[in-house]
Amino acid sequence: MRRKTLSRKTLIKSAIPVVVIILAAVAFAVFEPIQVLPRIRLAPGYLLTDQSAATLTSEDVRGDIVLYNFGYSGCGEECDVMNGTMAAIQSRIGEVDVGDTDIRFVTISFDPGQDTPEVLAEYATTLGADPEQWTFATAEPDHLENVVKAGFRSYYEDHGDGSFSFDPKFVLVDGWGVIRGEYRYQTQASDTDKILRHIDILGEEIRNAHGAASLAYEAAHFFLCYP
Amino acid sequence: MSRLLGERWQRRIAAGFLLALVGVAFAWFFLLPRLRPHIFSGTVIQSTQKAPRLELEAADGHTVRMTDFEGRVVVVYFGYTFCPDICPATLSKLAGAMQILGNRADEVQVMMVSIDPERDTPEMLAEYVTHFHPDFIGVTGDAQTVNRVATLYGVYYEAMEGTVETGYTIDHTTTVMLVDKEGFLKLVLPFEGTAEQIAADIEYFL
Repeated sequence: MRRKTLSRKTLIKSAIPVVVIILAAVAFAVFEPIQVLPRIRLAPGYLLTDQSAATLTSEDVRGDIVLYNFGYSGCGEECDVMNGTMAAIQSRIGEVDVGDTDIRFVTISFDPGQDTPEVLAEYATTLGADPEQWTFATAEPDHLENVVKAGFRSYYEDHGDGSFSFDPKFVLVDGWGVIRGEYRYQTQASDTDKILRHIDILGEEIRNAHGAASLAYEAAHFFLCYP
Repeated sequence: MSRLLGERWQRRIAAGFLLALVGVAFAWFFLLPRLRPHIFSGTVIQSTQKAPRLELEAADGHTVRMTDFEGRVVVVYFGYTFCPDICPATLSKLAGAMQILGNRADEVQVMMVSIDPERDTPEMLAEYVTHFHPDFIGVTGDAQTVNRVATLYGVYYEAMEGTVETGYTIDHTTTVMLVDKEGFLKLVLPFEGTAEQIAADIEYFL
């Protein structure tokens, strides 16, 4: 009789951790862990001239989610995949929920000699860019070096014959001016889906940026719950 | 009461009550403030890379590098001495934060980088920033170097037409950057932060 009582106790004792693990697994599946994108580094500050000859600065887009890429209008077929990805994200942006935050697309040309505002405006039309959302801009060569090469860490090199070697890269920046994602299209099967998913994750963090939920998101940053 | 419980028990209950009260006070005033997570007024960055390199000139031809301050928290601000409003307001708040930090302010270096290298000489900068706090330093460089440093610290600036009295003014990013003791850029503080909030955020990294 005594032996029977003891074995029941042992059984209960050993069952407790199993129950706790099962409950934790269920809670994990039901509530889903918070996902955040890493805060990689500060995005560069900049002063550019856009396709309507107006200035575009990093302060103009503060508070917005911005997806950047880098190229030039004379790029031709080499940029088709990159531009197609940008256009696809623009057309599918309604699929993500970022609340009241604006989403913008900025293509920075590293060929200011050729890419005047008129040329950039024509290039934008060719690509089907919505001018309200997708801006094409450039700057003085020295400033471009600082912004694109040093700031966004996107390589380009002028061959002197109107062509460039460059790093076909997308950079996702949040409303606080912090880089949250960097993507190179050759290595990704579907950048469109991935970037849209990341914008959605960013949107959820922005929607929860105030109140008690923000603490959970800050904790997620410290514990690196990165997708 | 005295009939229901003996004097000894009454004393025990009173002592227990007193002990519980002390426990609650200890938890409330000592434990909770320490256990509560710090809520930053700025945006935290978990970058694995060191803060952008900086090599600029201070007064007396002294070259200042970010690496000179390893072991201290560096608070970097980009402004200019002719700045009519934002810069003095920010430097005043930073001076207020230093005052709040008291002795621990020795572990902090506030540095203003001039975005107006055309007008701000290192000597003018030294005179300007020490007006707010004797330990503040001001640095500058040639236009290209300043543009590179400002760009990498997320700062935009643009000269704007001013009045005859002020000359040109400069529109610029108003955030303040914090570099930790190991040289990592950890925090971006908004202009709206108070001296108390800035001090609390700096203290977290001390």
